[in-house]
Amino acid sequence: MATPRSLAAPFSVTRLAASSLSTLRPEVCRFATPAYQTIRCATTSKTQPAKKKKARNTFRQYDLKKTEQFALVDAMQYIRAFEVGRNPSSSKYELHVRLRTLKNGPVVRNRLRLPHSVKTDLRICVIAPADSKAGQEARSAGATLVGEEEIFKQVQEGVIEFDRCICHIDSLQKLNKAGLGRLLGPKGLMPSTKTGTVVTNVGPTVRNMVGGSEYRERLGVIRMAVGQLGFTPAEMQENIKSFMDALKKDVSQLQDRVSKEIHEVVLSSTNAPGFTLNGEFKGPNSISPALLTGPL
Amino acid sequence: MVNIIARARKLQELLWIRCGPGALVLPKEVSKISMEFNTKIYGGHRGARKFWREMLPRIKYRNPSVPIEISRHTSPDGPALLHIYTKTTPNTPDGSSNTSVPSLHTQSGTADTPPSSTPNARNTLVPDATKPTYSINIRDQQHSEILDALLAKLPESEVVRPTPEEEQQMVDMAEFKERSEADRVLVREKLMKERREAELLRLARGETAAAA
Repeated sequence: MATPRSLAAPFSVTRLAASSLSTLRPEVCRFATPAYQTIRCATTSKTQPAKKKKARNTFRQYDLKKTEQFALVDAMQYIRAFEVGRNPSSSKYELHVRLRTLKNGPVVRNRLRLPHSVKTDLRICVIAPADSKAGQEARSAGATLVGEEEIFKQVQEGVIEFDRCICHIDSLQKLNKAGLGRLLGPKGLMPSTKTGTVVTNVGPTVRNMVGGSEYRERLGVIRMAVGQLGFTPAEMQENIKSFMDALKKDVSQLQDRVSKEIHEVVLSSTNAPGFTLNGEFKGPNSISPALLTGPL
Repeated sequence: MVNIIARARKLQELLWIRCGPGALVLPKEVSKISMEFNTKIYGGHRGARKFWREMLPRIKYRNPSVPIEISRHTSPDGPALLHIYTKTTPNTPDGSSNTSVPSLHTQSGTADTPPSSTPNARNTLVPDATKPTYSINIRDQQHSEILDALLAKLPESEVVRPTPEEEQQMVDMAEFKERSEADRVLVREKLMKERREAELLRLARGETAAAA
């Protein structure tokens, strides 16, 4: 390489080449030393964002074939062993249902009344005139607070002594006028037609709510407490079945817009790991369900 | 929901609840076990708590129909006791004491079983008046010593030996644990090195910035 260059040099020393060389050289020299580190940084930062992947719009799902799945009785035997010595009124069975769904699609959200209720000490507030027919219905169905102005006043003073709030459709205007959205909204207590808490017939709604529980999909998973720790396998089976039926119904109602499928059902409890259910009540090696009926 | 890999790992480790010290089938006349100890470990209550956390799940797994109850008090000088209740009438053939009762969460305990920790009713039920057959003082004892004492009181109980496959699994699990511990050290070293280098670089860059 050295010889051709030395040969070419005398020929190619034209005005153009010389000028281009002379303009290039000082530039390189000027920036070389101080810019050394900054150039390194710049190149690395430039190459990284070029590799950016397309964001996925569904939740990642794993193949369940490799995981161990349990029959209900087996899972309950393990869970009861994990919950040994705990206070049975504070520990609960939980069900987690994983869906195959879009990340940004509509979510499943509803409430239902399980055949064997998990929590019974719910305080319900009904916004309707206390002396009206709806108000009386609500009281007889088990609402703890019934009224209009009195309740608005209490809430505005910051006294919120209820866990659910229902509004009769005739009282909705008054409620909106009272401007309680800023107080009740953050707690999720503000009645609205979207959540199904503005109703015409108060009685049945309250009755459903007393033993009922709400569920909603968050990040592709629906979680709900489905039983007390002292439930027998048969009771748990009924509860789980009715919950799954309600869920399937909700999903089918959404079906015209999106597709949601149930991917995995996991039973766990407050102090136990999650057991993936295989949909069976009893496996071939399971113990007799009668053994699990006793107190914990 | 917990990541499926983490969950699967937990389920693989379920072996610990099936085998190991404490995996025993109690004799049929045992109707209930209850423990009583402090909420804190001071004053010799550590063994009791460890027994509860490690051995009782195994006992409960093998004896699902025996109620086990724990009451914890707040004074370090209080008692640390393990009560064993027995009843003279033998159980029904399948080992269950209350097959005739469909559900216990709606009603209190039957006559032959002492009322135990039924849901919502632990503190509201009439306290159990029957005297425990055996009471073992478990203060200042290791959890293995407590198990030995329990076995001494109930010599008929049958210890469940792990099958060869389970033994193999246990060995594998132990190996895996050991390896993961070694790996953890390696990864930690690497991570610390990276962090140190990053820190040095940051310092160097800060100095150049200060100089310029």
